[in-house]
Amino acid sequence: MMPEWVEAAVVLENGFIREWKAAGKKVVGYTCSYLPDEVFHAAGILPFRLRGYGTEECSIGDTYFGPFICSLPKCMLQLAGEGRLRFLDGAIITPGCDSMRRLDECWRKAGDDHEGIVPGFFFHFGVPHKFSDYTVHWFIDEIRRLIAAVEAHFGVAVTDEGLRESIRIYNRGRALLQQFDRFRTAPNPPITGAEALAVILAGTAMARDAYNSCLEAFLDKLTDHRTETQTDRIRLMLVGSANDDVELVRVIEGNRALVVADNLCFSARFHLDPVAEDGNLVEALARHYLQKNECPRMYGQYRQRLDLLRAKIRSARVDGVVLQNIRFCDLHGAENGLFERALEAEGTPCLRLEREYGPLVEKGRLKIRVDAFLERIAQKHGAAA
Amino acid sequence: MRQATREYHFDWMLWSAFDTAAKLSRGSEKEYRTTLKYIPYFRGIVEAMLQSGEPGKRFVELCAKYFGNFVTARERGRKTAMTTFCFSPTILYALDVAPVCLELLSAIMALTYRRGTGEFLDYCNEVGFTETSCSSQRGALGGFLAGLGSEIDMIVTDTPGVCDTNANAFSFAAAYLQKPFFQLDFPPVLVDPQTDTYHREDYKALIRFLEEHTGKTLDVDRLRQVLMEIEVQDALMAELEDLSRLVPNPLPVSFGLLTYAGRFLFGGMPECTRLLESMVEQGRANAEKGISGLKSGVEKIRVFFCYIDHYAQDLRLWQLLDERGIGYAGNILSRHWASTAPYVRILDKADAAYTVDTTSLDAMLDSVAALNSRMPMVKQIRGPYDAPNMWLDDTLALAKLYSADCIVYNGTPGCRNTWGMVKLLARDTEKAGFPTHIMNTDAFDERVQSWEATRERFEEFLTVRRLLP
Repeated sequence: MMPEWVEAAVVLENGFIREWKAAGKKVVGYTCSYLPDEVFHAAGILPFRLRGYGTEECSIGDTYFGPFICSLPKCMLQLAGEGRLRFLDGAIITPGCDSMRRLDECWRKAGDDHEGIVPGFFFHFGVPHKFSDYTVHWFIDEIRRLIAAVEAHFGVAVTDEGLRESIRIYNRGRALLQQFDRFRTAPNPPITGAEALAVILAGTAMARDAYNSCLEAFLDKLTDHRTETQTDRIRLMLVGSANDDVELVRVIEGNRALVVADNLCFSARFHLDPVAEDGNLVEALARHYLQKNECPRMYGQYRQRLDLLRAKIRSARVDGVVLQNIRFCDLHGAENGLFERALEAEGTPCLRLEREYGPLVEKGRLKIRVDAFLERIAQKHGAAA
Repeated sequence: MRQATREYHFDWMLWSAFDTAAKLSRGSEKEYRTTLKYIPYFRGIVEAMLQSGEPGKRFVELCAKYFGNFVTARERGRKTAMTTFCFSPTILYALDVAPVCLELLSAIMALTYRRGTGEFLDYCNEVGFTETSCSSQRGALGGFLAGLGSEIDMIVTDTPGVCDTNANAFSFAAAYLQKPFFQLDFPPVLVDPQTDTYHREDYKALIRFLEEHTGKTLDVDRLRQVLMEIEVQDALMAELEDLSRLVPNPLPVSFGLLTYAGRFLFGGMPECTRLLESMVEQGRANAEKGISGLKSGVEKIRVFFCYIDHYAQDLRLWQLLDERGIGYAGNILSRHWASTAPYVRILDKADAAYTVDTTSLDAMLDSVAALNSRMPMVKQIRGPYDAPNMWLDDTLALAKLYSADCIVYNGTPGCRNTWGMVKLLARDTEKAGFPTHIMNTDAFDERVQSWEATRERFEEFLTVRRLLP
């Protein structure tokens, strides 16, 4: 079932990037889904969502970061320090959270000790934590500052026409992902949650035009040869800290469950609504990205996020919710506590998991807890029957 | 949580303890000595404060008044706002709202109670808040989440863009307690015209929020009054800063704590002014006599705390400094970056400072927005640590200016921000010639590392680096 292009999900410098670089084109990495990719697409640069995937140890990450820091940025720094991100021509650090924004300094300072690991273009991109007219103005200024810096450094021009075309292409991608989401949440989905994550991850590591074509062909295949193989599995929703590891979802699913929905940083949640293709395009991007309140970095929006989860639980017929957070991720960890309280009160079973990012060293522990959770849901179903 | 802890509201208990201690300070020696027998657990802090002279007595009175203000707010028709230490209470006082500062309550409980805030810290985890979050909020927050605190009317914070764990604690509290929530948000750059415009707009939105939830309109004369009081306080703090540069430093080591805590409690109110006046008076008297503020009278070295202090019970950090002849060159909490501050003048940092202008409403709003955006931590931690006017800039400049012999970092494990960059900062301060010690402890929770272990490691640092024999 898995198409070959989802290699992009599990190989850091995948075939698409190698081809892109071989053509003499640039790649810029970024840390947060609040960055408008369209700006880079319009500049002829490949936006690449930074990950820590593939680390085997964290000695470099631990050297610069302190001990009480999320392992995701530490793993990113590890990859950078090992020279495995040398294909990047630029990096954008965003205050998605405090651990992540300190990657800015840690990466730069690690560059003093590890030659050549800091890309030539290195940019700190501010993102407000709330949506209002005046925060949109700030964000518009910030996007303009980014565009100016990209133009100056790479000798490119981001024109209105180019930006409009990029928004159009990304909107097409959003519409395709919406279709994909419908397959995924269907009563008997033709794909697993692990496969779905791989498809979504591929979109963060390859050019959007090529991604759209691949996704289109894949959706056609799903429509034409629909196989409803995933029956009788417990339907789960995965919520919380960033996860770019297909294996984690595979461990959670095992052969008894299916992750049919999620609210994660690497997921479909940011791809659904289209960006306005007319008027002031920078403002359209600013409004689109800033009004997304799915991430707990947007403080004071808990109720809206809870409503979002409730809606997804209903539409995807979710049997249970796995609320996970990476250790030291207080934003997701704390909100998971609130979600658990509210959803359990409404009769939706929840499992709170704390984990480390990186190699699944705690696979056994996770599996035991998930199995117990599935047992609980199965008993509930049995009792209801 | 123990049943005994649930018997009374914790903030009422705190108010009661400090109110009694405040009265004690004005009683006879016999009354004082007799009462100490009945407060075995509090006598350490009571003695440490009351015996440090007039400023200590005033500080205890200040705390009692602050607690009383919000504990009795409802009875007096006032609203309360849960807020954070780096949010200037000035605007709340201008709108007659009683502030409830979580970190101050946590620190004062840690300084006062043998058990610190342990049960409240744990209670936060019991209701779903992460154990890895900052103990400075959790300590007091647990009491409110458990329904053991005064009624809160609204929640106001100013740490988005500055400190996630802090902002997240208030956001969690708003969701859990179902209270109206407002956040001031900060761009990563301090000195920039667009930042100034943003600060102004954000602050105006805050005032609209406060007006909506208090049902009151901002009284321009009242705002002018509190800002003028801020100017007076800034002048007094400037004089204390000047005095602290003398050799020997005539200020007792605890004055740093009194300065910032006083300003966090009653910034813009006469209560803080009176505390600062008493401190200046004592400092001047010591300076005229040419004596050190240290009990031993001999200042062997000076230490600059580049973040916060350690709030172990009974002021044991300050007792240690005093005993060992270590002068205290302040921390980032005690500097507010008024344009009149000596460090602003000497370091030529007028662009990074605020000025109080009371000539019009717009000027006052700009002043109060600028004041708030220069609050400790809000100023230094909003951007990369090595960017202009940020943490490294301030640390090196202040350590040099106040002739520090070494730098100490102390914080909490919940502080993602400083733990994300303190190793880098220490590397830079060492390169600049300052031996730097990173305390692996929790300023608000001795269960993480006992004070004894913290002290031993600090003394080991002083010995190994040959700062003290």
